[in-house]
Amino acid sequence: MARRYDSRTTIFSPEGRLYQVEYAMEAIGHAGTCLGIMASDGILLATEKRNTNKLLDEVSYSEKIYRLYDDMACSVAGITADANVLTNELRLIAQRYILQYQESIPCEQLVSTLCDVKQAYTQFGGKRPFGVSILYMGWDKHYGFQLYQSDPSGNYGGWKATCIGNNSANAISLLKQEYKDDNTINLQAALDLSIKVLAKTLDMTKLTPDKVEIATLTRENNKTVMRILKDPEVEVHIKKYEEEEAKLEAEKKKEADKKKA
Amino acid sequence: MSILAYNGAAIMAMKGKNCVAIAADRRFGIQAQTVSMDFDKIFEMGPNLYIGLPGLATDVQTVQNRLKFRLNLYELRENRRIKPKTFMSMVSNLLYERRFGPYFVEPVIAGLDPKTGEPYIASMDLIGCPMETNDFVVSGTCSEQMYGMCESLWEPDLEPDDLFETISQALMNAFDRDAVSGWGAVVYIIEKDKVTKKMLKTRQD
Repeated sequence: MARRYDSRTTIFSPEGRLYQVEYAMEAIGHAGTCLGIMASDGILLATEKRNTNKLLDEVSYSEKIYRLYDDMACSVAGITADANVLTNELRLIAQRYILQYQESIPCEQLVSTLCDVKQAYTQFGGKRPFGVSILYMGWDKHYGFQLYQSDPSGNYGGWKATCIGNNSANAISLLKQEYKDDNTINLQAALDLSIKVLAKTLDMTKLTPDKVEIATLTRENNKTVMRILKDPEVEVHIKKYEEEEAKLEAEKKKEADKKKA
Repeated sequence: MSILAYNGAAIMAMKGKNCVAIAADRRFGIQAQTVSMDFDKIFEMGPNLYIGLPGLATDVQTVQNRLKFRLNLYELRENRRIKPKTFMSMVSNLLYERRFGPYFVEPVIAGLDPKTGEPYIASMDLIGCPMETNDFVVSGTCSEQMYGMCESLWEPDLEPDDLFETISQALMNAFDRDAVSGWGAVVYIIEKDKVTKKMLKTRQD
C-alpha cells in the first residue's frame, strides 16, 4: 500500500507521512551509536567506532566527531558521505556569520540554519533527504552549554541527554532513569554515565577504548576547549564502571544467597 | 592623492636568527587630518604568523575579516596550522580575485613555520604579486625611505634583541620623513616559543 507513495520525497502519503524521510531515519537506526550528555560544567559526546578494521590507515582526526568552529562540535550517525557534506556546510554557515557580524554564531542559530537546508530536501528539488542525524555540542554567551539533535526531516531539539544511531531507544530509556535532572551532574559523572550506557547498549562483549571515541567541550579562561579523550583516560572510566558492576554483582549474589538460606 | 596614500601607513618585516620581526606605525588619518593613534594594522593569523596590511583603512579591515574566514575553514578542514608560504598563496589568491576592482592594500607577511620554526617573510602588491625575500620587506606610503633605512641597517643573523633595535630604528626614522605615517609604532618579535609585542615612543607629528 505504501509502495506507491514513497518513490518521491516531495509528496505525502494518504496517511500524511513522508516515507522517504522515514526511510532515511531507518538508515540511521543501523549506524554507529552516538550519545550526548550535558553536565553543569561541560558537555560530552560519546560515539561507537565501527571502523575497527586493522587494515584501515588512521589518518583523519576523528571518525565521527567534527569541529565546526571555536565554540561548537558535532558527531554524526548515518551515511558518512552525506555527513561530510553537511559538516562542510555547517562550517561555512558559521564563518559567514562571523564575517558578517564579527562575533560567533549562537548555537541554536547554526543548528536552525542547517535544518532549513535539510528541510528543503524534503519539500522540493526531487532529491533524496540526507541520511544523517547530528548531535551538536556547543557554548554561547547567551545560553551557556547546549546540546542539540537534528534529523533528516529538518527537525531539531535541545536536549539534556540523548542518543542517536543503533540501539538509541534503549540508550534513551536508560538515560531517562539515570540522568538526574537537577543540573548538578558534573562532567566526570557524565563521563561515567556515558560509559555505563554505552556498555549496556552496544552489542559487544567487552567495552575497550578503541571501540569508543569520547569528546568533551568545556570553558577554560574564557575560551571554549574541545578535547578528544585519549585511550588511557577512557580506560580509567571503563575500569571504574567495571568495578562498580562487579560490586553490584557481588551484592546481588549476597542477597540471593541470603534468601536461599 | 593616490588611494593607497589616503589613510597613510608604514609597515616592515625583517628576518633574524630563528626569529622574525614585524613592525607598523599606528596612525589612522584621513588625508592630512590624524583621527586616531591606536589603529591596528598588524593582525595575528596563527600563533607564529602575522600579517601587516597598509593601505586604505576600510580594505585593511575587510581583507583581514575575509582572510580570517578562509583561514578558519582551512584549519578546520586540514586540521593543522597553515604554513606561512601557503598563507602567502592564500592572500595572493584573495587579492587577485579582485584583479579589476582591487582591495587597496599591499600586505606584508611574517611568520615561522609551525613545524620547523624556520623564519619566513613576504610582501605583495595590491593584486597579489608575491615577493619572498631573505632579508626584509617593506610596504606603505614611505616605502622608499624604509628601503633606504633597511638596506643600511639590516645584517644577517640578528638575535631577537638586536633585531628589535634594528627594525625599530629603521621604521621610526623612515616614517619620521613621511607626513601621513607615524604617530606611534608597534613591533612584534616572533620567536619559536614566544611572541613579544612592544610599543615605541615616537615623535607625535
